[in-house]
Amino acid sequence: MNLAIIGCGGMGGNHAQFATNCGLNLVACGDSHKKKAQALAKRFGAEATDDCMALCRRDDVDIVGIMTPTPTHSAYVIAAAEAGKHIFCEKPFGRTVDECLAAEAAVKKAGVRLFVGHVVRYFHEFEAIRAQIEAGKAGNVGFVKAYRGGIFPQGEDMWFRDYEQSGGVTFDSSIHDYDWIRYVFGDVERVFCQALQRDDAIDYALVTLRMKSGVIAHVIGTWAHPAGFRVKVEVCGDNGMITYDNAEAPISSMMRQVEGGQPTMIVPANPVETSPYQLEWVDFLAALEGKGEPKVTPEDATWAVRIASAALESAKSGEPVTL
Amino acid sequence: MAKMGIMSFAHMHAYSYAACLNELPEAEFVAVWDDDAGRGAAAASQFGTTFIADLEEFLGSGIDGVIVTSENVKHRAMVERAAAAGKWILCEKPLATTPADCQAMIKACADAKVGLGTAFPCRYIQSLLAVKQQIDNGDFGAIYAASCTNNGQFPGGWFAQMDLAGGGATMDHTVHVADVLRWMLGKEFTKVYCENGHLLGRDTDLDDAGCLQMEMEGGVIISHIASWNRAKSFPTWGDVTLELIGEKGVVYIDSFNQKLNVYNDDAMKTEWAFWGDNPDLGLVADFVAAVDEKREPSVTGVDGMRALEVTVAAYKAAAEGRTAAVQRAAC
Ligand SMILES: NC(=O)c1ccc[n+]([C@@H]2O[C@H](COP(=O)([O-])OP(=O)(O)OC[C@H]3O[C@@H](n4cnc5c(N)ncnc54)[C@H](O)[C@@H]3O)[C@@H](O)[C@H]2O)c1
Repeated sequence: MNLAIIGCGGMGGNHAQFATNCGLNLVACGDSHKKKAQALAKRFGAEATDDCMALCRRDDVDIVGIMTPTPTHSAYVIAAAEAGKHIFCEKPFGRTVDECLAAEAAVKKAGVRLFVGHVVRYFHEFEAIRAQIEAGKAGNVGFVKAYRGGIFPQGEDMWFRDYEQSGGVTFDSSIHDYDWIRYVFGDVERVFCQALQRDDAIDYALVTLRMKSGVIAHVIGTWAHPAGFRVKVEVCGDNGMITYDNAEAPISSMMRQVEGGQPTMIVPANPVETSPYQLEWVDFLAALEGKGEPKVTPEDATWAVRIASAALESAKSGEPVTL
Repeated sequence: MAKMGIMSFAHMHAYSYAACLNELPEAEFVAVWDDDAGRGAAAASQFGTTFIADLEEFLGSGIDGVIVTSENVKHRAMVERAAAAGKWILCEKPLATTPADCQAMIKACADAKVGLGTAFPCRYIQSLLAVKQQIDNGDFGAIYAASCTNNGQFPGGWFAQMDLAGGGATMDHTVHVADVLRWMLGKEFTKVYCENGHLLGRDTDLDDAGCLQMEMEGGVIISHIASWNRAKSFPTWGDVTLELIGEKGVVYIDSFNQKLNVYNDDAMKTEWAFWGDNPDLGLVADFVAAVDEKREPSVTGVDGMRALEVTVAAYKAAAEGRTAAVQRAAC
């Protein structure tokens, strides 16, 4: 099957590799910055364009991958769906719930498949946590805490710095945890959030989710650290606890600086045979072949945006938001 | 030499404070009183001191200062009795379970012209002292945000009873960190949101899990986990952690992360052996010095009340499902 990728930045490059690893043929790369489309296209022997809407309609394209800044997702999803293409869209599905609902409707109407990249559901460690919970190792769970983040992301034209576009760490990054927590613990009753969102690119989000089941979930997101990337999870129940910390990794290396200067620390590395990003494609492609449902449905992706939007609303109003 | 007594061994911290009194050359641990005579007598003999069953006799035995380590709701009556007898007082946290009780205790001590301290040993944790120094030096610039924990194992006993503890995990585990933040940042709390409940199956009707979000003056945003969420099989009793987000940098403090991992086949559970300095010793030494110098202890009754007011706001917020303003009582 032939793939076109729109948005040839960080995630576009990643997905080009993982999708082609799965046997897809990358035929076209689109980006509003044509140079970025050309650079990625060259690596994979694809065509490059800055007319991304036209790319959605190309006859030789079966799947469109949308890896652009969040507020542009829904227009591309709708265009691709109307052209009868299957769609892989990066998370967050949209910048607003309305955008998500419009995109969901277009997909349904066209009868195409949409997958939204909530990759945390595919991370080995998160699947392992889920398995331990399901095996009852913590007993009945009453409290869960998730921590994620590090340095403020760059992005093309510094789009992450524009909180209207990215939603900041509250929306863009902690959405991974909102989705995973909802995946494991069910629907959310109410959301409370405090967010820093400073203009000097320091962001920190403190979010409490009260689940319909009564479980309390605390989600901490940071784009306030000068370096690094940390993920921590803690699950507490009436018969035990499960904790995870990505600082405890099998590899930590430090390179000698031969020409003088400081040695450089390489972040702890956690290699796995198949990247969770590739597992997303495996799951999506299996669904396209009629082999079951992927772990993430369009409705799930809209729910994640609904929770993230409620968090932003709470940060603004200073009071909890009930869903 | 300051002559010291302990009133009640209901709180397990009494045993640590008693050991500190015996360790400090400036203190003489002369007597124990307890409304549970068996417990008091056993503690007195454990620490090589005298048990006095009658409270008047205890207060008249020549002691200069007392440490009150009873159940939370009994603090007020004991502090008032000791103050009336002219004793210097160090009271276990929370100072009391209502701001009105705190106010009455503070007034009783002021009227009697005796010092009143709240037992917040976190102020003597070396890692927190070091970071406080860095903050004061301006190393981190302005502090914008914090996420904190005071996780613990379920203490059981009277802690599980409303009529003695005055609340559950939120009551037990909010005040330490509230005090640390007031002390470190030199700011007061303004409002609190809280989700809590009986969610972890601990043997109590009270809340065993609390999750607070708070604001301090100047808009500092803070979250805090006040919880009995540590499993019985967890390697230690719990923790005090803070991540501070500042203008020039960030810092994570895991206060008790000065430990060895101990794998012992009799225990069949990994245990953490703490090797850092004992913060209780700093706390008790300051109190003994306060008694000696006839000055206020460094961490005052007002500090205890301010921290309790955050807890009270948390319960109010949890009950009402919205933020609660932190009401600061006069003192
Ligand atoms: N799943 C994950 O782990 C993960 C990680 C990072 C980012 N993301 C998500 O992936 C998406 C892209 O993020 P990124 O980090 O790759 O950003 P990026 O800035 O590196 O890449 C975005 C690319 O899209 C291009 N672009 C911008 N506007 C466009 C438009 N209207 N049409 C076509 N191209 C346009 C930019 O030129 C850039 O090359 C975002 O939604 C982000 O939230 C997901």
